[in-house]
Amino acid sequence: MDSENNYWVSLDQWRKDPEFEALVKDEFVSSPFAPDDSESGWARREFLKLMGASLALTSFGCVRRPSEKIVPYVKRPEGFIPGVSNIYASALHQGTEVFGVLVKTREGRPIKVEGNPDYPQNLGAMSARAHASILNLYDPERLTGPKKNLLNEKKSNRDTVSVSWDQLDKEVKKQIAKGSVGVLTSHKASPSTKNLISRFVNTMSAKSYSWSPVNYELEKKANELSFGTNSLPQLKFDKAKYVLSIGCDFLGTYLSPTEFTKAFSKTRSPEGNFGKLVVFEGLMSLTGTNADERYQVRASQFNELVMALVLEVANLKGSAVVTPALKESLKQYKGTAAKLGLNAGELTRIAKELIAHGSQSLVVAGGLSSQTKDAVKVYTAVNLLNSMLGSVGTTVDFSRTYQSATATTSDLVKLKNEINSGAVKTLIIDSVNIAYSAPEMVEVLKKLEMIIYTGDRNDETGRISDVLAAGQHSLESWSDVEGLSGVYSIVQPTIEPLYDTRSFQQSLLAWSDSLKGSAPSAWYEYIKSFWKSNVLTGETFEKEWANALKQGVVIANAPNKASRPILNDAINSLVYKGQHPLPSQFELSLYQKVSMGSGENANNAWLQELPDPVSRICWDNYLTISMKDAEQLKVREGQYVKVKQVSEGAPVEVKVPVHIQPGQIKGVVGLALGYGQKHAGDIAKEVGVSASGFFDGGLASGLKVTIEKTNQIMKLSSPQGHHSMESRQIVVESTLKDFKQDASSGIHKHKIFSLWDTHKYNGHKWGMSVDLSSCTGCAACVIACQSENNVPTVGKKYVDQGRIMHWIRIDRYYVGKPEDPGVVFQPVMCMHCDNAPCETVCPVAATVHGDEGTNDMIYNRCVGTRYCANNCPYKVRRFNWFHYRENIKAPVEMAFNPEVTVRSRGVMEKCSFCVHRIKEKKLEAVREDRKFKATDVQTACQQSCPTNAITFGDMNDETSEVSKAFKNGRTYSLLEELNNQPAVRYKTKIRNTDHLKGAKAHHGGGHGKDHGKKSAHGADDHGQAKGGHGKDSHHGNDHSKDSHSTESHTKGGH
Amino acid sequence: MKSKLIGALVTFGLIGGLCSFVYALTTNKVVIGYNINYEPDQPIPFSHKLHAGEMQINCKYCHAGVDISRHSPVPSLNICMNCHLNILPKNDKQTEVFTAMSDKYNNDEPVEWEKVHLLPDFVKFPHAYHIRSLEEKRNASANAVELADESNGYKAHVCQTCHGQVQEMDVVYQWSSLSMGWCVNCHRKPEHNAPVNCGTCHY
Repeated sequence: MDSENNYWVSLDQWRKDPEFEALVKDEFVSSPFAPDDSESGWARREFLKLMGASLALTSFGCVRRPSEKIVPYVKRPEGFIPGVSNIYASALHQGTEVFGVLVKTREGRPIKVEGNPDYPQNLGAMSARAHASILNLYDPERLTGPKKNLLNEKKSNRDTVSVSWDQLDKEVKKQIAKGSVGVLTSHKASPSTKNLISRFVNTMSAKSYSWSPVNYELEKKANELSFGTNSLPQLKFDKAKYVLSIGCDFLGTYLSPTEFTKAFSKTRSPEGNFGKLVVFEGLMSLTGTNADERYQVRASQFNELVMALVLEVANLKGSAVVTPALKESLKQYKGTAAKLGLNAGELTRIAKELIAHGSQSLVVAGGLSSQTKDAVKVYTAVNLLNSMLGSVGTTVDFSRTYQSATATTSDLVKLKNEINSGAVKTLIIDSVNIAYSAPEMVEVLKKLEMIIYTGDRNDETGRISDVLAAGQHSLESWSDVEGLSGVYSIVQPTIEPLYDTRSFQQSLLAWSDSLKGSAPSAWYEYIKSFWKSNVLTGETFEKEWANALKQGVVIANAPNKASRPILNDAINSLVYKGQHPLPSQFELSLYQKVSMGSGENANNAWLQELPDPVSRICWDNYLTISMKDAEQLKVREGQYVKVKQVSEGAPVEVKVPVHIQPGQIKGVVGLALGYGQKHAGDIAKEVGVSASGFFDGGLASGLKVTIEKTNQIMKLSSPQGHHSMESRQIVVESTLKDFKQDASSGIHKHKIFSLWDTHKYNGHKWGMSVDLSSCTGCAACVIACQSENNVPTVGKKYVDQGRIMHWIRIDRYYVGKPEDPGVVFQPVMCMHCDNAPCETVCPVAATVHGDEGTNDMIYNRCVGTRYCANNCPYKVRRFNWFHYRENIKAPVEMAFNPEVTVRSRGVMEKCSFCVHRIKEKKLEAVREDRKFKATDVQTACQQSCPTNAITFGDMNDETSEVSKAFKNGRTYSLLEELNNQPAVRYKTKIRNTDHLKGAKAHHGGGHGKDHGKKSAHGADDHGQAKGGHGKDSHHGNDHSKDSHSTESHTKGGH
Repeated sequence: MKSKLIGALVTFGLIGGLCSFVYALTTNKVVIGYNINYEPDQPIPFSHKLHAGEMQINCKYCHAGVDISRHSPVPSLNICMNCHLNILPKNDKQTEVFTAMSDKYNNDEPVEWEKVHLLPDFVKFPHAYHIRSLEEKRNASANAVELADESNGYKAHVCQTCHGQVQEMDVVYQWSSLSMGWCVNCHRKPEHNAPVNCGTCHY
């Protein structure tokens, strides 16, 4: 069968690249004895030497008992028992995203951040970055106390010396007393901090600036123009049955993605409420991959696209909103569909569908990859569309607006001008690495008399600062957040500050004597007094405060009306008479990766090793380029190109490897932010290149560039392809229409028989259901699992060698033509099979079947033969090649979960179904003298999933969610034909479209009908778990190549 | 002559070596096997015999949280001082011990106890679960003695099942072997009805 109609993981596979096929055959991509290893720190000889040494130790160890100490508290704090975790409600602010969180602490140290189900934005869901924030707390590169940089005349750093806070304060106060002070912050979601800054500004006659490279000033500007309010309304995806996104990556990185994902998932249930998502975009974003229909349009042509849509809607609906002037102007957009390369009639159909859904439709635009010079027009037109459809007030809800997106580009311009004019001579910088994110500002900043930096590390900005007032992690200090207006939460510290650090707010209070007279001098008291007069204004403040701390959220009445009429000025501003210029050969769109964001967490190994959901590449950024452009430029995957900005003055140029991205439009290239940080720490160093220089006056998209190829090639690290399942029925897709006729449409059932009795489970039998229709591939579960289960990171080199350790991976499959593929995500963890192939081959019974259906891994029995991994058809077992734990620098080990064994070298590991959580809940039931309820148990991945795609529970209980899910027609087992009886089952991916990309793609397309008759024989040849029909690109070929399968089986069996 | 001398030296050396080995064994300088009877010196000579035996203080008073946590928390000094603010030493020996303790408390300095019961790595033993279920069985039985088994010391205090007659120990020592066989033997008893699959303790 043509591979075009099959699911494929990379272009190499699609092309049937021999190198790729060799990779697939190899379970362990490289041998530990590969020649290049001898040069590394983990050389084989070293390995043997270490083995020898540990052997010697063990033989002595028999006669000497290790002596260990128990060091109890002197005064054990109240409500605190060693071995029992305490959970505190708090909040987390990242970029423009606000999470209500529950911080799990053990023995006084936070070990995990989980979502607070009561918080109205994330509703218990988390993102990968939010989970990883725990690791930032224990980052070894953090400043351990106040420092001073000794700068020379050129303002480059000679040396960093420690000072005391008293010394530092004295010096800063002296400087501040001279006046001309500026305060630069990033997005601020804390109302108390905003209040403090404005009071500081007033009393010190200072100036404040709020800037971040990723900001939503243009979106706000458009709203001001359209609705007369400079704010961002809440987008209610849960109420939207039809979502049209114009280059807005709302599921990945736009504004408040976790909240949006959570809300969006409520419209993705084929059994109930199923909406439709249509995406127009140039790059391949996470939102685009989840679209029911996706169309490729360059960011620079969004304006024409939206205007064409306005025209279609106005024509169909005859809306009175459109003014005659605009009506006249709209005429020029008649041929737009053809100009954009879209099928004639597509736009009309979409407009019809939009109108049909009326106020239940939602058109969204915004975010980096639409921030072109036409951006305000695009956003205004989108506002007009929403108004015409009547969705302003329902899906676009102004009753609460985002308070967390305060940064603007114009503040940076203002800052630049005011430094140049001498109006600002001293600058206090909080939590924004401006020297990295706006490299053009470095020379400007050097004109300042003093820079005071309250960051937590000596990064690019730290290095040009005079004073480093070491800041704190949000888990160490008090603060508050107001994510949406009227939704407040207190950020409470869950650990004593690890080092001699002080929060930015406390520093501000310490530096301004004049503030002291009128406000509490301690930051904690300041927050309380602010809350007393602004949030909890009741008479019983202390009680309410304690309650707010416990609940983690206070919800005040919505301050505004939901709906706003569109202003005529906005409509008239869309009138355009000139010609729309043709796009340039290459335009660059900057974008954020789900893992890295704008780069604040660059020194976080979990995030660096998290494969990007779409490209599946980790430990690097790269220039995404379309297939056609790659062919034209004759560049290969990983080949370096020089990207040069077309502009007057000194053009920015970077050298970056390319990634050929299926589904990307010709002419657009993408580069992710947040990489190439030289001074963020050991982990971030030498990873990727910085895209910061490309921002053109704050614009991030439609940037004209030229591309020149070089001969250098690097290998981009991607774990996809490591664990290939070789063209069997892996992901199943169907359309909503087919699903309505037959719930199990697309699923190819196998006849299975077994000679043996199955396991009997008298008590519980754990099972998991994964709904591919809901899953957006956001990767929150991967990091949740990593945090929960002490999963080590291995580094770029070993990712290349197939040694990535993630217990849950999200496979991404493309389907159809690479120019315009469909994308399906599939989370894969241990299937906990009833007839587990791994159990039967373990020579030491280190992996055995538990009496509740789990497949248990007994680490101390494991001798590391790796037979189990070879025999696992799902490729979910991970081997500890090294003592990864030993590579960990203090104090990172404090992030470990003490409930989960830290594995050592030479043992196999894999998903345990969070068995420790099951035990914990059982213990809790015993403790509380009640019967254990299976519904109490949540796995880490399930808990953090923003789409509720993962259901976990007791299969023996007929009424449990998972039992119900298994009876659902959409449910299928992965590699059912092997009769492994997996306890993890999947539900078909349903798309609300007429035509699936790469239709007829389902497994069994070629041989499905006769398969049943030959079932005995079928079971036989499928049974070669790791047989590796390496060359058979599709399962359908198996029958004709029976003789092969035995042969390749022998080859496969290591 | 010379060879006889060498022979004698070697013999004495061997005997001497053997003697010191036996001495080391008997004084727990060297322990073979499962560390049964391991009885390390503690920084403060706290006597369980006095507290648990003579004074009959319930184990759970000091080891508070043992029925909640998987650990049996070693008491923090403030628990000692709960009583010892009022109960003062009666003789010189007691004074010595008492001062060692109160000094630590006053200086905010934790005591570094020598760990006696050391489970091997990769095994988890939740105290709370065992305490609770054993207590439940004890309470459910009309005649607690019926369940009591002299050989494993399963008495009124369920802790004794594994820790032995702690109320008679001046210095605490390891009473049971804590070996896997020992654990499993108990789990297999029909009256306990405890799971014996690997994942029960190893995960």
